Amino acid sequence: MALTFILVPLVMASLLPLIGKISKRLLPDVLSNIVLLFLLLYTVFVGRQVVILNAGFQQLFWFGEKLNINLALDGFSVFMLLVISLVSFAVGLFSINYMERYGSKSIYYALLLIMIAGMNGLVLATDLFSIYLFLEVAAVASYALVAYGLKHDELEASFKYLMLSAVASAFILISITIIFGFTDSLSLRNIAYGFAVLNSKYVVGFCTALFIMGFGLKAAIVPFHAWLPDAHPSAPAPISAMLSGVLIKVSGIYAMTRIFLNVFGLTPAVSTVLLYLGVISILVGAIIAFNQNDMKRMLAYSSISQIGYVILGIGLGTPLGIIGGLFHLFNHAIFKALLFLNSGAVEMSTGTRALDKMGGLAKRMPITAATSAVASLSIAGVPPLNGFWSKLIIIIALVQAKQYGFATIAVLASVITLWYYLVIQRRAFFGKINDVFANIKDAPFWMSVSMIFLGLLCIAFGILFPMLIKSWVTPASDVLRLSFNYAINFFRF
Amino acid sequence: MSSHWLLYMGFVAALIFIGLYCLLTMRNLIKLLIGVEIIAKGLSLALISTGFVRKNILIAQSLTITFIVIEVAVVATALAIIINIYRHTKSLDIRKLTKLKG
Amino acid sequence: MILHILLLIAVVLFSLLAILLRDLLKSAISLAVASIFLSIIFFMMNAPYIAVFEISVVAGLITVLFISTVALVKKEEEVKESKLVNYLFPVFFVLFIIIDIFVMKSLIGRLCVIKGPSPLGNFSQVFWKERTFDLIGQIGIIFAGVFAVIALFRKVNSDKDKDNHE
Repeated sequence: MALTFILVPLVMASLLPLIGKISKRLLPDVLSNIVLLFLLLYTVFVGRQVVILNAGFQQLFWFGEKLNINLALDGFSVFMLLVISLVSFAVGLFSINYMERYGSKSIYYALLLIMIAGMNGLVLATDLFSIYLFLEVAAVASYALVAYGLKHDELEASFKYLMLSAVASAFILISITIIFGFTDSLSLRNIAYGFAVLNSKYVVGFCTALFIMGFGLKAAIVPFHAWLPDAHPSAPAPISAMLSGVLIKVSGIYAMTRIFLNVFGLTPAVSTVLLYLGVISILVGAIIAFNQNDMKRMLAYSSISQIGYVILGIGLGTPLGIIGGLFHLFNHAIFKALLFLNSGAVEMSTGTRALDKMGGLAKRMPITAATSAVASLSIAGVPPLNGFWSKLIIIIALVQAKQYGFATIAVLASVITLWYYLVIQRRAFFGKINDVFANIKDAPFWMSVSMIFLGLLCIAFGILFPMLIKSWVTPASDVLRLSFNYAINFFRF
Repeated sequence: MSSHWLLYMGFVAALIFIGLYCLLTMRNLIKLLIGVEIIAKGLSLALISTGFVRKNILIAQSLTITFIVIEVAVVATALAIIINIYRHTKSLDIRKLTKLKG
Repeated sequence: MILHILLLIAVVLFSLLAILLRDLLKSAISLAVASIFLSIIFFMMNAPYIAVFEISVVAGLITVLFISTVALVKKEEEVKESKLVNYLFPVFFVLFIIIDIFVMKSLIGRLCVIKGPSPLGNFSQVFWKERTFDLIGQIGIIFAGVFAVIALFRKVNSDKDKDNHE
């Protein structure tokens, strides 16, 4: 039953404040992580069924006859569910030790589970307004989670994030209203059919522009990225990993891709706009990340840059481009989450995030240093780790489509990415150790477990990438490749 | 009938313009939230008037109820953040919130 | 029809008043009055449920939240808004209205729409049966709002001494 993806976290989240009154630490930790583990196993189980039952693509339609809930579990949805559940499981394990000093762990886990329920709901919805509604659920939970520490920086960052995100949601809703006005229906199938019949380019163009402004802000595409470098460093480290690893991808890129590719159809004009936005994001993110002193701020700008790669791949529209974009989305979720968790471990041990105060931490924190090295090499695109393959596929797709300029910029930005990640590694982990930190210890048990889990995933998916692409990414890209005919023919309830 | 729809959309555009102007130029934190409120009024007017013109008022009502619930949650969270900011900086001026730069 | 236009102009006017007034209490009350006019418009558009909901929630609950927040931050000194803004605003607004009327007039008759499936039944059937998925979302957002407020107002007791020194 696909509804368990949404109901189980929601029910657990509603029970958590009561559980928190009984037991402050043990029960919330254990129960929340059991829920996250269950979601991960259920995703893998359901995903294998969706993929095995039909070569190519397969979708399951669930709707209770008494209720009228239409959920679609096709290749793309299952792919995004896998990303969400992998990263959220690692974050849940990490939070067992990290959130000790913030207090009120039951409320934290409740908000985290609500955010995950919102993202799952967004991914499974087939109705345009439901997509908007669950987007807001995840967003409201994230406003409170960014401001969780209640210090000055975090409140300022959360307030700016809230204001900008509210404006973006307003743009999205205006576009939904205009679509409702034209096609008199909100389900993706009727909208796709309506616009295929109507042949009104200007209305679709206007709605597309509003959607790019709205979802672009949620996905932190330049020039709508201004909230991200403030919000992601100020949040607690596991929340930074969730935001940067999953939320900007689900709220921004999944919604935009689903609507642009499955409902409107990817016209050459939209494709060009997405390509240019992607390239500008890559360059701006990579260049500003250079002279940052704060470790998490550098990671935040790097997120902007890598999201540019994903937009570049998906905006291309060719099958190889979509496969490359989706694979890079998956990889980026894993290694960016790992990098943010590493920075959280460093911050918990040394008390600082400034790179010029750190040095030589590798001797005292071996596990953190090793996983950070794996993640940095992955994101910079060093073979045989997973980042290399996804960037290679995107660049090959660009060359195949004869976009040589974009391909060159993508390769150059990859070199710049390698450079500044080596800077982080050298300044933070290698070199002479600062005397202040002579007695620090490595990360506690559960934090190390979650970091090793993500690090092993990086290595495993780097070596076994053909299997991953064939079983998880290709069904997703097949769904997207059929463009609006898919929505018209297959979303029959 | 579409001329009536354009009339209502004209007023919606005016309301959204007022709200965006308020967000861009006001300095008091609570005034910024009033700007978000005005945009929300414009959006509920847009939803209901679209439903009214397309003779589909029941679905539009359901959507608008859901939207008002979302708006209450966002406003409550924003006010909680504003009260906490006031406890830290003892002022409601947005020019005092410039610590994060770069 | 004329009544609709007058009421809509009243809504826009009171929203304008809400941002031009300097006192925060008067702004909140002006916003509530705009809500009341908006709900009268909704009532005239055959949407009685939304009219009631709008008055009770937006003109009631949100105004109470605003006023209680203003009461909690009472000791602040006056935040000076820039005078230039208040003078420039009518100019921009009139300009925008002119462009607005222009664009809307030029679009008349050029829009073609299609008819979709219309739901049968009364409001409660549509709300509970057709949009059931929205109800799960509404439960989610209510929980999110409640937990957000609880999380932001919790007692962080390890930093009490540090806050007293600042």
